[in-house]
Amino acid sequence: MRVLYGLTFAVVTALVLMPIGALVIGSLRTSAPGVPGDWTLANFAGLASAGVLGVMAQTLIIGVGTALISVIIGTAIALVVHRTDFRFPNLATALIGLSFYLPSFILAMAWIIIGSPGGLINYAWGNLLGLPGKLDIYTMWGIVFVMVLHNVPFVYLTMRGPIIGMDSLYEEAARTSGATPVQVLARITLPLLGYSIASSAILTFITSIEQFAIPALIGSPGRINVLATQLYLLCRFSPTDYGLAAAIGLVLSAITGLAIWAQRRVVSNARLATVGGKAGRLAPIPLGRWRWPAYILTFGFVTLALILPTLILIYTSVIKFFTANPLMAAYTWRNYVFIWESAATHSSFWNTVVTSSIGAALGSALGFLVAYFSLRQRFQGARALEFLANLPFGMPGVVIGLGLLWAYAYLPLPVYGTLAIIVIAYITRYLPYATETIGGQLVQIDKSLEEAAWVAGATRTGALRLILLPIAMPSVQSSFFLLFMAFFREISSAILLFTASTMVISISIWSFFDQANWGLASAMSIIAILIIFAVMSFILWLLPAARRR
Amino acid sequence: MSISVNALVKTYGSTPIVRDISFTVAKGEMVALLGPSGCGKTTTLRCIAGLETADGGSIAIDGETVSDAARGLHVPVHERAVGMVFQSYAVWPHLSVAGNVGFPLSIRRAPAKEMAERVDWALDIVGMRALKERQPSQLSGGQQQRVALARAIVGKPRVLLFDEPLSNLDAKLRDTTRAEIRRLQRELDVAALFVTHDQTEALSISDRVVVMDQGRIRQQGTPKQLYRFPANRFVADFIGAASFFDVTPAGEAGRWRLPDGTVIRVDGAPPTGGGKLQGMLRPEVIQLLPAHAGATDRATANTLTGRIVERHYLGALTEYVVEAGGTRFKVHSANDIDTEAVQLNFSSRDCQLVLADV
Repeated sequence: MRVLYGLTFAVVTALVLMPIGALVIGSLRTSAPGVPGDWTLANFAGLASAGVLGVMAQTLIIGVGTALISVIIGTAIALVVHRTDFRFPNLATALIGLSFYLPSFILAMAWIIIGSPGGLINYAWGNLLGLPGKLDIYTMWGIVFVMVLHNVPFVYLTMRGPIIGMDSLYEEAARTSGATPVQVLARITLPLLGYSIASSAILTFITSIEQFAIPALIGSPGRINVLATQLYLLCRFSPTDYGLAAAIGLVLSAITGLAIWAQRRVVSNARLATVGGKAGRLAPIPLGRWRWPAYILTFGFVTLALILPTLILIYTSVIKFFTANPLMAAYTWRNYVFIWESAATHSSFWNTVVTSSIGAALGSALGFLVAYFSLRQRFQGARALEFLANLPFGMPGVVIGLGLLWAYAYLPLPVYGTLAIIVIAYITRYLPYATETIGGQLVQIDKSLEEAAWVAGATRTGALRLILLPIAMPSVQSSFFLLFMAFFREISSAILLFTASTMVISISIWSFFDQANWGLASAMSIIAILIIFAVMSFILWLLPAARRR
Repeated sequence: MSISVNALVKTYGSTPIVRDISFTVAKGEMVALLGPSGCGKTTTLRCIAGLETADGGSIAIDGETVSDAARGLHVPVHERAVGMVFQSYAVWPHLSVAGNVGFPLSIRRAPAKEMAERVDWALDIVGMRALKERQPSQLSGGQQQRVALARAIVGKPRVLLFDEPLSNLDAKLRDTTRAEIRRLQRELDVAALFVTHDQTEALSISDRVVVMDQGRIRQQGTPKQLYRFPANRFVADFIGAASFFDVTPAGEAGRWRLPDGTVIRVDGAPPTGGGKLQGMLRPEVIQLLPAHAGATDRATANTLTGRIVERHYLGALTEYVVEAGGTRFKVHSANDIDTEAVQLNFSSRDCQLVLADV
């Protein structure tokens, strides 16, 4: 048992501390990692330059703006769908669930095709209708717009639980006190949801400032940078400045870490007993003449975030040369034929399946052990283990990528350029999610179940394997699928680590799009979307429990 | 200030929860709706409050029809002017004590001065004025219950509805709160309906009790009527302890035959309505004596000889199970009886005939 604990501790420490250590060292050096240089503080001084401060301000504006707009829209949709007599709640939930799984880089690409100066909207606006003025997605508000589309499903999914699970007694008590349904909403329901809304807003802020693909794709033509893309540019394009990149990575981590601390405070203050057994008995609020605005809000959002982007990608994937007018387009299957025949795309698909499944299995196993040792067996140092395992919450994907890149540049290990380093990056980034998912169920399992096994003669390890693991299996499975879906769509932590032989689907799509090959990028995106949705429905079919999450 | 429920029906999907029940609560009267869980009592209360829409029948509050399924009439909850106390208090965690109690008034846009006075008045009544500025999380369960009570009465409701308000309190607090609710209701002189599954609570708090089972009313009456003269075995069994035994007519009025042939006298007439009859005796009305003791007044009393088969010592009294007359009787006695052979004496007034439940 102690051996297992030691092993878990060592693995977690290595996973988490190596990239952080590499970043800290890198930020204090004058030269690139592996190259002789001096110790310096100049990189942190560089943070105060007008350029970096501007980027920082931009990042915060985009983060706050996205969070506020997403929370308003997402909460509104959740309330409409779950608190009124909205006609199609299941359809709305299913469609918003699907848009949650649409990868950010695919959404951004689709919206570039739709909203760029040469894109569909401007073609329809200028050439067909002959109207003046041009829409330009390559702006800060373009970034915010796509980020909102990407984050509303997250807000919806996080608000759905509190709204459905809220004890209807509080609202009933207000109704019997003489309040109308609208007064109940404004004075009881929304205030009671306050902590959940705040928590959701902070989490959205974090994912927005960590977000790499959307600002990279939409921001680069207009030279609009955020911290995550600035870091990438400083590493990949000359003039490179690795020290400054590391310093920026540390600042970004500090901001997200602070935001996560705030979110935890909010959640721990939120111990209002609002979740009760008699949920959902309250009669729904009749929409009346608000029926159509409610439809427009919900299905309008789904159209912009899921249906329109998918249709555009399908269209772009089957035409020879890009034209905004479908009547003038030359149609072809050549993009799909190319993907079918190209060895490079085959290996990219294979790499994705391998990294996602092996990564998810290893990540869930590690998550189980960490949860077990930090919640059930409080050996010495258990608190440190818990803390370490939660650190990656505050580390954006590009920052982990950069840290690992350097960590393995310093170390003489044959890991760089293999799929292993990508798997390591994925597991590190998502370890807290695995631990949280499994830990949530472990704390609910009564201690006496394990004790009874010991009394019956089982060793600690035996009880862990024979009693605890089988009982906790549903959460381990959820964790596996959560990680699998996340890894399948992951781009930010892989973008600095891939090589020609270790491409994954997300990177391949990214490269095609980068080479202005919209057709191939779209075709591959469509295939990726199909795989994601197929896996999703498989999971839902396999695990009825996952549906309730 | 009255409630009248007429032929109320409520179904969930195809499951009938409330099947055609009618009763009234007069002004100033406290009526308890008593029954096992799932009997439809809470659903009835929620229909009166307007939290559920009835599927049949009508409900009137203060003479005004608030629900009539036949006409499709359903006055929304907030227009019914009722006061309601919930089982788990439902004190809003984001509002202070004063905020909670003042809510019904602020919804009606009462002037600030009047609102402050009314809140103080309501909090005074429940003895919580000193804790006005507290947050709900700083209150004990009993204090939260008082806040809920003050909130229910602050708007001068036409009727008061209680949904098992005492079941989350500990035993001692339950007794004092029960007395307080009763005093409060008398003072305000409104019609009140009190849902509970606890028979002691129902008997002690109410003027009248309506006993429900499986969506139907089994009997209604004053607590004394229900305890002394239950109409059927369900009511007799649900309210208090009792022994039941099969009886057959002995040919003469007021005389009934026990299973072994012994004839006993019973004063009351058998209940109307078809069905098998049983005799019922409360354990405390039977006098238990050693077999050799002298007989008592033969004119009103029945005497059976039998033997003790079980003894359960309960402190203040002992519960004996006595085999006599070809059946078994539960007897409560403060005396310690060591002999096995005993005699049972009971008055012909205390033995009741009930319809056996099928």
